[in-house]
Amino acid sequence: MGSRTEFSPQTLSVLAALCGQPSAWQHGYALARQTGLKSGTLYPILIRLADRGLVEACWEEEPVPGRPRRHLYRLTADGLASATTALAEADLAASKARRGTSLRRGRNVAAPAVP
Amino acid sequence: MSWLSQAAAAAGRIAAGLVPAARREWAEAVWAEAHEVPAGWPRLSWRAGGLALVAKEAQMVRRISIALLFAVAAGAAAWGAWPGSPVSHGAAVQGGIIITLTLLAGLPLLTRWVLGPPDSRAARWLRAGFYAAILAVMPAQAAIGLFVGTVPRGGIDRHTFDVFQGPGVPGSSSGGPDWGGEIGILLLTACYLAVVLALTARRTPVAPATLAIGAGTGAVLGIVMYAVAPLGLNVKYPDRPWLHGSAADTVGTLAWILLFGAPLVAGVIGGLRCYVPDDPGEAGVARAWQGFAAGLVSGGVGALFVTVLGSGSVALLVKSAWVRDWLYQGQHVTASAVYGRELFASQNVTAYPFLLVAFPVIGLVLGLTGAGIANVAASSRAGSGAAAADCAAGVGRGDVSPTLEN
Repeated sequence: MGSRTEFSPQTLSVLAALCGQPSAWQHGYALARQTGLKSGTLYPILIRLADRGLVEACWEEEPVPGRPRRHLYRLTADGLASATTALAEADLAASKARRGTSLRRGRNVAAPAVP
Repeated sequence: MSWLSQAAAAAGRIAAGLVPAARREWAEAVWAEAHEVPAGWPRLSWRAGGLALVAKEAQMVRRISIALLFAVAAGAAAWGAWPGSPVSHGAAVQGGIIITLTLLAGLPLLTRWVLGPPDSRAARWLRAGFYAAILAVMPAQAAIGLFVGTVPRGGIDRHTFDVFQGPGVPGSSSGGPDWGGEIGILLLTACYLAVVLALTARRTPVAPATLAIGAGTGAVLGIVMYAVAPLGLNVKYPDRPWLHGSAADTVGTLAWILLFGAPLVAGVIGGLRCYVPDDPGEAGVARAWQGFAAGLVSGGVGALFVTVLGSGSVALLVKSAWVRDWLYQGQHVTASAVYGRELFASQNVTAYPFLLVAFPVIGLVLGLTGAGIANVAASSRAGSGAAAADCAAGVGRGDVSPTLEN
């Protein structure tokens, strides 16, 4: 379902932040701090994920004095499965890329000089 | 900074109202969260992101582009139609232009509030086409009105004018229809606009395919009708500069067939293609809706095609020499005869309002007839399908007739 090619690096960072505490509800600014994304990038990603049923959203039930109620987010069961797969694939791809780079670098170092 | 932040907060709360209801909570979420963000530039930047979200979700770029396009097209149409020289019916013509443009700009907002916005590509294209047609007809009709209302100062043209129009003050110009005529045209425009907006709105049960079928068949009808009568409508003395002899008869017959056939076919296809409930009564009503809409759109689009193309041709005829040369290619026509033909064509344009009423009425009657045919065909198909299914089930159970056994 959630293949590596489906998600942008920004979306993967949001999924990673939500995966950190899968059962906990998180609010937008907390996610922005974890991912380093601006609100104009973060919220369209959350909307797309919610449209696809990967993220559920709700308003805080109890109003807290001194601030408005928060909009909260967490992964759905499908979202958790997709996120886990996508993050694992992304890790695998990244480690492959790192290994490829180090092998190339190693070959370059070991290559004998042509007389 | 605080006033800037407060202004951004107020702008955001107002802007959130522009976002469709299903998405509004997301815009409100950004605003609620802004209280968590440290005051100063970070909070301002957060709210700017919220405004970007609102602009995206409210499709602001598309809305602003459409509004600008409409403003430019409406301005050009008004500039082309505005009576330039002093004319006796100038106030009526100016009033007609202002009211038409106000209707075009204001009625969609009212329809959106009551029936919702258009929610399919077919609906949006139909609206855009209708707007283009109205804005194209305005300057064309103004040019024709100015020409037909201007009394020549003397000579043979003056005599020709007297024959066609009756005596008038030499050199004077009416500039277009009087208030009575203008009100009639405005009522017709308002009716067309209301019907087009209603049929293309989200809460009206008309399928996008029905609109597309109606518009397609209507376009064919309109183009063939225009080929038969490119210079106004005159059944007794038709002016067909490019059709002669048997070709004129053939295309004329085809036009008559299409006048009744196009909405009928649209109604049948519209009735057969739509999704209907299982209940036969409700299915019949659903098909009737699609047939009604398909026929109405077919007739209306056909009438609009003839009106736009015909008015445009006549306006170009009285304005441009090359159109006259192209229309009457190879014919030796004297200057006075040219004036007579232009005047004749300009008078024949006055028959278009009749056509704009008659075609949709014919269309909706035949569209409903088509929906009835579709309903009968669908019912008989369902009946034979059920019979075949029963038969297949009977064979499967071993409940086979003796004939089959033998």
